[in-house]
Amino acid sequence: MKSLSSLERIVLECIGKEKLNYSKVLENSGLHENVCFNILQALIIRGLLKTDGSQYWMNTQISPLMEEEINSLSSRQAESLEFIEAVIEKQSDRVFKFQKIALDDRDEKIFKAMLTNLETFLVDCHKKSQAVTPVKSRKVVFWGMGEVNALMNQMITGVDA
Amino acid sequence: MSLQTKTIQRYRQLFPKDTLREVSARTGIQITRVFRLFNGKNMKVGELEAFETVIEKKIAENPSFSRFSTAMQSASSLLTNDEIARLAEYVERKIAVKHFSRGYVSLGQADAIIA
Repeated sequence: MKSLSSLERIVLECIGKEKLNYSKVLENSGLHENVCFNILQALIIRGLLKTDGSQYWMNTQISPLMEEEINSLSSRQAESLEFIEAVIEKQSDRVFKFQKIALDDRDEKIFKAMLTNLETFLVDCHKKSQAVTPVKSRKVVFWGMGEVNALMNQMITGVDA
Repeated sequence: MSLQTKTIQRYRQLFPKDTLREVSARTGIQITRVFRLFNGKNMKVGELEAFETVIEKKIAENPSFSRFSTAMQSASSLLTNDEIARLAEYVERKIAVKHFSRGYVSLGQADAIIA
């Protein structure tokens, strides 16, 4: 696997543009110490992180090919799937709703407008609190919609027609 | 990683709590020899086969593994290249998470080990 796993990206997001020591990465990510250490080592081996032995920082000189690989649409989709799967499998403290809804054209427009409002609200929330909220305490939020017929055809053919 | 190291690692994954005596009993290899093999001494072909046989028997006990193998065989002949690539990516990601969590013992597992 050449793309990033969700865990690797979380560690990269924790470090961001800063230079952090191990305990700070551990605190920001909320990962178990062994897991955090293994991920840091993997990221160093892949050349995405640099370290002087006590601090870790992002390698800003990664090749465009590698950048394309880790930020490609397919790898981002696979990462999203990992999180969505984790939310679905969560046993407690879970917010997840999945329904097939009959929406007429007017209601669909209203619903999409509501989603736009929701997105604006979430973007504002993030801007307001991102500096004081460590990555481990952030929430994963997702939504989506598709027509049953189109989705079924996609499942059958394996491609979005 | 050599085939011998991989085989011993796989054995340890499947039988994490086996003592040298138990390994010896399962594989039919003398206990002193098992000790040496676990400490890096080169295996003979027969010894490697003995470990492989034990591993295969253990795997065969797991119905999910058989299902998985059959599903993968069917997938390789029925699914499109893109679908196979997505499946491969999915499995590789699961494996990567396992690699990252090596050495991690969850609270439940720790209780089981202590018990």
